[in-house]
Amino acid sequence: MSALGFATPAVLAALIALPAIWWLLRITPPRPEREVFPPFRILAALLKREETPAKSPWWLTLLRLLLAAAVIFAMAGPVLNPRQAALSAAGPLVLVIDNSWAAANDWDARLAAAEELIDEAESANRPVSFLLTVDDKPDATPLSAAEARTRLLAARPRPVSVNRDGLADRLAAGLSGTAPGTLAYVTDGVSLAEGDRSIEALTALKPGDFRLLAGDGKVAIAVTDVRNVNDGMQVTVSRLDARDAAEMPLTAYDRQGRAIASENLVFSTGATEAKTVLKAPLDIRNDFARLAVGTLSNAGSVHLLDEGSKRRRVAILGGETADAERPLLSPVYYIKRALAPFADISESRVSGLDAALKELLATRPSAIVMSDVGKVPAAAARALTDYIEAGGTLIRFAGPQLAAAGKDDPFATVPLREGERRFGGVLSWSEPQALAPFPETGPFAGLPPAEDVKVRRQVLAEPSPDLAARTLASLRDGTPLVTMRRLGRGSIVLFHVSAETSWSDLPLSGHFVDMLRQLVQMARAPVGKPDADGKTQPLPPYRLLAADGSLSAETGNARPLNPARDLAKAADLTHPPGLYGEEEGFLAHNLLPEGSRIRPLDPGQRAAPWVKRLPVTGPQPVNLTPWFLGGALLFLLIDGLVMLWLNGALALPRRRSAAAVLLALACLAGISLEPAPSRADDSRPGDEVLLKHLDTTHLAYVETGEKEVDEISRMGLYGLTQFLTFRTALEPGEPVAIHPEKDELSAFSLIYWPVSASAPMPTPEAIGRIGAYMRAGGTVLFDTRDQSEQSFGGSGQATPNGERLRAILADLDIPPLEPVPRGHVLTRSFYLMNQFPGRYADSPLWVEAGQGSDKSGARSSDVAPVSADGVTPIMITANDFAGAWAIDDMGNPQLPTVPPDENQREYAYRAGVNIMMYMLTGNYKGDQVHVPALLERLGN
Amino acid sequence: MAPIGETSPAFASREALQLAHERAALMPDCLVEARRVANSVISGWHGRRRRGMGENFWQFRPYAEGESFSRIDWRRSARDDHTYVRDREWEAAHTILLHADLSPSMRYRSRFAPVSKEARALVLMLALAETLARSGERLGVPGLLEPQANRQAAERIAVALAHAAQTPALPDPAAIRGSVDLILFGDFLDHPDRILTALKPLAHRGIRGHLVEIADPAEESFPYAGRTEFIDPETGRSLTAGRADSLAEDYRQAYLARRETLAAEMRRMGWNHVIHSTDRPASEPLAALHLMLSADGRP
Repeated sequence: MSALGFATPAVLAALIALPAIWWLLRITPPRPEREVFPPFRILAALLKREETPAKSPWWLTLLRLLLAAAVIFAMAGPVLNPRQAALSAAGPLVLVIDNSWAAANDWDARLAAAEELIDEAESANRPVSFLLTVDDKPDATPLSAAEARTRLLAARPRPVSVNRDGLADRLAAGLSGTAPGTLAYVTDGVSLAEGDRSIEALTALKPGDFRLLAGDGKVAIAVTDVRNVNDGMQVTVSRLDARDAAEMPLTAYDRQGRAIASENLVFSTGATEAKTVLKAPLDIRNDFARLAVGTLSNAGSVHLLDEGSKRRRVAILGGETADAERPLLSPVYYIKRALAPFADISESRVSGLDAALKELLATRPSAIVMSDVGKVPAAAARALTDYIEAGGTLIRFAGPQLAAAGKDDPFATVPLREGERRFGGVLSWSEPQALAPFPETGPFAGLPPAEDVKVRRQVLAEPSPDLAARTLASLRDGTPLVTMRRLGRGSIVLFHVSAETSWSDLPLSGHFVDMLRQLVQMARAPVGKPDADGKTQPLPPYRLLAADGSLSAETGNARPLNPARDLAKAADLTHPPGLYGEEEGFLAHNLLPEGSRIRPLDPGQRAAPWVKRLPVTGPQPVNLTPWFLGGALLFLLIDGLVMLWLNGALALPRRRSAAAVLLALACLAGISLEPAPSRADDSRPGDEVLLKHLDTTHLAYVETGEKEVDEISRMGLYGLTQFLTFRTALEPGEPVAIHPEKDELSAFSLIYWPVSASAPMPTPEAIGRIGAYMRAGGTVLFDTRDQSEQSFGGSGQATPNGERLRAILADLDIPPLEPVPRGHVLTRSFYLMNQFPGRYADSPLWVEAGQGSDKSGARSSDVAPVSADGVTPIMITANDFAGAWAIDDMGNPQLPTVPPDENQREYAYRAGVNIMMYMLTGNYKGDQVHVPALLERLGN
Repeated sequence: MAPIGETSPAFASREALQLAHERAALMPDCLVEARRVANSVISGWHGRRRRGMGENFWQFRPYAEGESFSRIDWRRSARDDHTYVRDREWEAAHTILLHADLSPSMRYRSRFAPVSKEARALVLMLALAETLARSGERLGVPGLLEPQANRQAAERIAVALAHAAQTPALPDPAAIRGSVDLILFGDFLDHPDRILTALKPLAHRGIRGHLVEIADPAEESFPYAGRTEFIDPETGRSLTAGRADSLAEDYRQAYLARRETLAAEMRRMGWNHVIHSTDRPASEPLAALHLMLSADGRP
């Protein structure tokens, strides 16, 4: 619907002037060029016949008329789709708003529509009776407009459906007899019950004006039924707006909110319901926690799943192998047929009960169904007991074998009498027994009474004090039909009849399926602890669904949920949709009960003439004033061009076209001079130093503060840098001296730390930063440089430098260390080496234990690696590497090796190269060791 | 778009004088041929090639009875027995009246012309005055300056014009007395009948006239196009032409017809008619006027 309205229609009266303008324009020619002309008299004689002024061409006049009309229209404030009519003459404004789930997606538009009505009421000085249809304390007492607005703005959509029963009564009570003026009902348009007459009831209030503001209903899509079927999750979705065909995604999310399955849901034209099967493997299906339909989410389009909706794996164990000859009459067949819709069935082909049981147990079923198994072999009993105690469920059916089995069955629920009881046989005068109604507690609570089932034979329980507590279902005469016993965390259930038709009609009735389903549902993660009297405790709200379809921990005033009673009902404010229970186990309570569907709200025959239907989110008003003004401007431009042409100016000189070209160029220049997008300046002090260090690899050493030590470090690293540059592809930059307490360390892969006892102790902060550096993947090479002192002592007495090293490392998280073992990556990362000499040759190089060697797979698991990628975070030596590496600018070695052997210096350099390569390539060389083995495997 | 023509401010006669001196310097001495013998007592510098009042010797003739004795040239008479009278050549200065139309329409100047018609008229007038004054003619401006023989005539005319109010398009006939040469500068755009009505009595009084019609090129060629409002500089009346270019042909014909009519009437009256366009040099009409004034008879 689109309409044109005017803010100030009075201005349109100026349109009357258009004919006058027409006349004026007709007689008023465009302004001529004024020319003084002395031979005027001659001209005057010539022009006699043209003495009446020239008329403008008709199209020019029309253009100007349009211009004038455009300006008049613009002044009148044209609005496309203006707001609708005013409130009715008298009485309060009654504003009823459906704040249900279906209103969640366009709530703002609904608010705006309602607010506009309130604004109108305020300007008309009317009281407003404001009622939310989903409200804990609905109150329709008329309020001032400001108060109503406050309440309106505080209103939120709630994740439940609207119950319109008694809406009229509530309104009438609030209004206390006042006839409403305008009754505006901003409705979600969703009705759950067939034949909702609430709108008709509202007309009984006799409002002066009844507006029904309804949305387009496109978002009112609700998941009504979810079944875990054979090959997937069957989802039924109901929608309100059935006019067009629609296709929308159906997505399943797991508990972390990841989309794990998706399917397209297709509504055909006119259909309000669509079904699809979300195909997914069982394991993935069992991870489904939430289903969402469409792109807009609200409480209706989201369906929560709990443990109960997970598909169970049930193992079936038949007693008699002879059944194989008549498969359609065997109990197993009945059980399979009953379980197939909601459970995955596994059977064993292995003969022998204990072997079959073991095989089935290995599949970790949720429940095991045993049909007429008298005695569980002792070999399997232990495993079965363990399984049940760990939470499994065993469902047993009676039969001749069980009846004959005797009393000492460890898997019996109640002590059984030997033999069976028959009703209605030729020798008996008792009738076949029907079932008593199911007790209100227990797994069968809520099932309809099974009137048509007759039991002809059963096994009987020995009377015992706890028999009643263990009975889940019984016959009319009170004898138990199904009994249950808890064993550990699991349970054993016994049907006192067989699973085929010779004993009872039960396997033929739907109750068989229902009972089995309940038992299998119960078979895993039972939710809620039963009370002493067997009733399930109400479940507290755990996570509730908001109207927009998101889960939140905020429970508001939701009440605990009684699963037996409340789950089957539609969600209401006391039990909003969501998850109830606790983290370990919860039940999903969804918006709509299973099998319901949503229908459009029908005002009904009697109400129809009263009701004015309006869209709640109609096309937004568009202010057309700028368009009209723009049009007028355009007409003006055209007019100007026409005038230029009429006056013969457009045909004129070239200079003007040059000017036009210049103008166009200027415009282009203006466009191209658009300011460059500005960027936030996120640079920090020290960035340039960091960038410099990142551009090239630098070797770094810690400045101890002792001049000669630092100088040797610098020269040593300089020597190593030269050596690396000459011999390898690595070309490091100048060595960098760092102060661990203030410099950025992360740019360096290796930090050389000459330990000197006479230097000042590094600050705790520096040590802390070194620790962080090591944890983040950096490596520190500590060099105590005192092998000469140690080699004479040998008594384990620590040297001063060693003491200092211990002091430094005392607060650090140092992994277990070992001397570089054979086959460590360090020994072959560039050169093949066994020793890592410096100035001294004898000190081992200590590295993190178990790292980097090709035997790392055999590493004991309790040694947690400190660093990733198999690179040791720490290396310790006493060989004085820097002393051996140190050269001056001319390339002359600075310190002699001990013993004086230039080969040793060469080896010292090679050790440095290996260390650097190990730093930069990690365990890459370690991996290469496996290449022959991998190739061999590939070849095979 | 700038208009083609404009009304320029009145041309200062001093400036015109300066230009006129320059023009006049280029001209040879103008000897005005007196067409009519008038019994004027006023002597001029030009010998009339006949006996009369003058200072230059013309002839000796025998004394006739009754002549004044004082006229006898005794020196000549003493050489023989006769008495002779010395005749002198008749020298008479001619009176020339100059008139320029300085009405607003003359101030028109189109962008095709370097000067306005008024400026050109003043320059021509003063240049002619300078030339004639050199020849000793008596020059005057009807209604402004009585005819006088003065070497500084041009300056005097310029001063007189500078102090004068607007001059009429045609001179006042009452201010023209005697037998004079009348030189009129103007655009003569008025209706030819009205011009002739004013000039014919003068012609009947035997006054010889020269009309110098000064025209702006825009007036001749009518370069206007498009919708144009034409304004009469004299009356301020305006007239709008829808498409001026469509009028051009008709206008040119009407303009030329007017000129033809005027020229024919002038010829009939025995007057001269010189046409000058302001985009041409001013010396052209000056030369023509010189020729006409000095020629014995009409062109």
